[in-house]
Amino acid sequence: MMNTPQQVKNPSTSLKSRFITRFLGALTKINAEDPISSPSPTRIFQRYRRIKVASNKSMAYSVRSRRIWSRAMLSRFRSRRSAFSGRRSSVKTTNCTTINVTINENKTAKGGLDMQTDELRELVPGGEAMDVCNLLDETAHYIKCLTTQVQVMRKIVDFCHLSK
Amino acid sequence: MESKAGTTETRSNITASDGDQVAALESLQFTDEFHRLILAPPSDNATSLTALLELPASRALELLHSPASAKLIAASASSFEALKGNFLFPSNTTLIDQAARSSVFAGGVNNTNNKSNAPETTSNNATLNLEKAVKSEPAETESCQPLVSDPAVEKRNFKRKDREKKAKGSTKKSKTAANDSSDGPEKLPYVHVRARRGEATDSHSLAERARREKINARMKLLQELVPGCNKISGTALVLDEIINHVQSLQNQVEFLSMRLAAVNPRTDFNLNSIFTTESGSLPDSNFPSMVMPLIWPEVQVNGNKQQHQQQWQFDALQQPVWGREVCNNYITPENSLLSYDSSANSVAEVELFSSNGQWTTNKQRCMQIKLKMEL
Repeated sequence: MMNTPQQVKNPSTSLKSRFITRFLGALTKINAEDPISSPSPTRIFQRYRRIKVASNKSMAYSVRSRRIWSRAMLSRFRSRRSAFSGRRSSVKTTNCTTINVTINENKTAKGGLDMQTDELRELVPGGEAMDVCNLLDETAHYIKCLTTQVQVMRKIVDFCHLSK
Repeated sequence: MESKAGTTETRSNITASDGDQVAALESLQFTDEFHRLILAPPSDNATSLTALLELPASRALELLHSPASAKLIAASASSFEALKGNFLFPSNTTLIDQAARSSVFAGGVNNTNNKSNAPETTSNNATLNLEKAVKSEPAETESCQPLVSDPAVEKRNFKRKDREKKAKGSTKKSKTAANDSSDGPEKLPYVHVRARRGEATDSHSLAERARREKINARMKLLQELVPGCNKISGTALVLDEIINHVQSLQNQVEFLSMRLAAVNPRTDFNLNSIFTTESGSLPDSNFPSMVMPLIWPEVQVNGNKQQHQQQWQFDALQQPVWGREVCNNYITPENSLLSYDSSANSVAEVELFSSNGQWTTNKQRCMQIKLKMEL
């Protein structure tokens, strides 16, 4: 089921092209808002966060609601947007700390597949509410989308460097 | 005789203990079925039934491993000639259905509904085969219904045993029984799972087995997606690899977004130009990810630009123009980024980057950097 290229039916409407359009639109918006020339680390960091959110959001929107992880991500964005001002930084740090903690717990135990599945649940958005079977499905699709994301972003970066 | 040869072959395949247990099982079930059979139609089949009961094991074993059901029924029918006596022959399909219904056709599903549904279709198949046998042996027009019901029951029984004994043909047979039966309008509601030898056949373990098989199939797909997972055996290690891969991909997204933030962007992102470069640079795209963490330490530690150029010329096979320009451009934003770090907390973080190229550890350090940048 995972092998059916549901996103690659038509090259003009593939996941990749949808993501590219959205992400580039978001990027131009971000660049328009920000003064480009200021090199202060805080500004760069803010821009980085905005770009990261834009990238994940674009990918989630490109997948629409077809996947559990994209739905979870979209709902997360919407909830985050609703409680925008106070929660932004706290959400970021909680994400960081959970990822830091789980890296160390990667040891296997007898019947310790639970540990890995728990880690996977934390990595894949919306994974807490999935059973193992769906979790593996969603992980595969998530990996596919992440690779597309990385590819596109890298190309954009290269393009920016090239045209500099 | 063919049947005898078959039994010897089959016996060699099955261990003694299993065979005895199964035979005991079979005989018990046979007694139940045939008691019910006796009660339903008012015919004098008592003697014939008890005679039949004497050879459940051998019969079952033979039927177990014979490939074609028609041949099997014919063989069994022919062997039953010896026990003819007062056998009646099964022109009466209703009796067969009754026998089917009363049989203990577990098939891994203990619900009575399924029992009633499943045996109907199989009994239909059995009737089809039996009717063939009937035509082939017109001399036995008056053989007993137990004669027919016995092979029918035994067919079902050996199907059950097939489930227990990992015969691949059984699931196909039951499937074809469901498909071919013209009289059975209802679909079989249960899942055809290949039962392995020695495994339990109750509904719970069968459902668990089906679930496990689904999970294993998905794990295989994941293994194909994640590079380097094919050689690893064992679900735990594969899952570890998958987790690492997902983490590395998420890290790459973060790094790339940081680079995008640092790079002085052009306000006009020309989609067309990106698409054209896209087609050319597809094979190159994977290489930079490996090279990138190596570049960063070298930027600060060596400041040696020649190495970068060499590295980039490795992958810039199709677009040699990229080689030097990209290097120079890569250095500057990273320099600028990391120099801010150096201003904040200097060399420590950069040295951490140079330690190894693994994404997970880099992620931790990057997080430290980010947190410091926030402060």
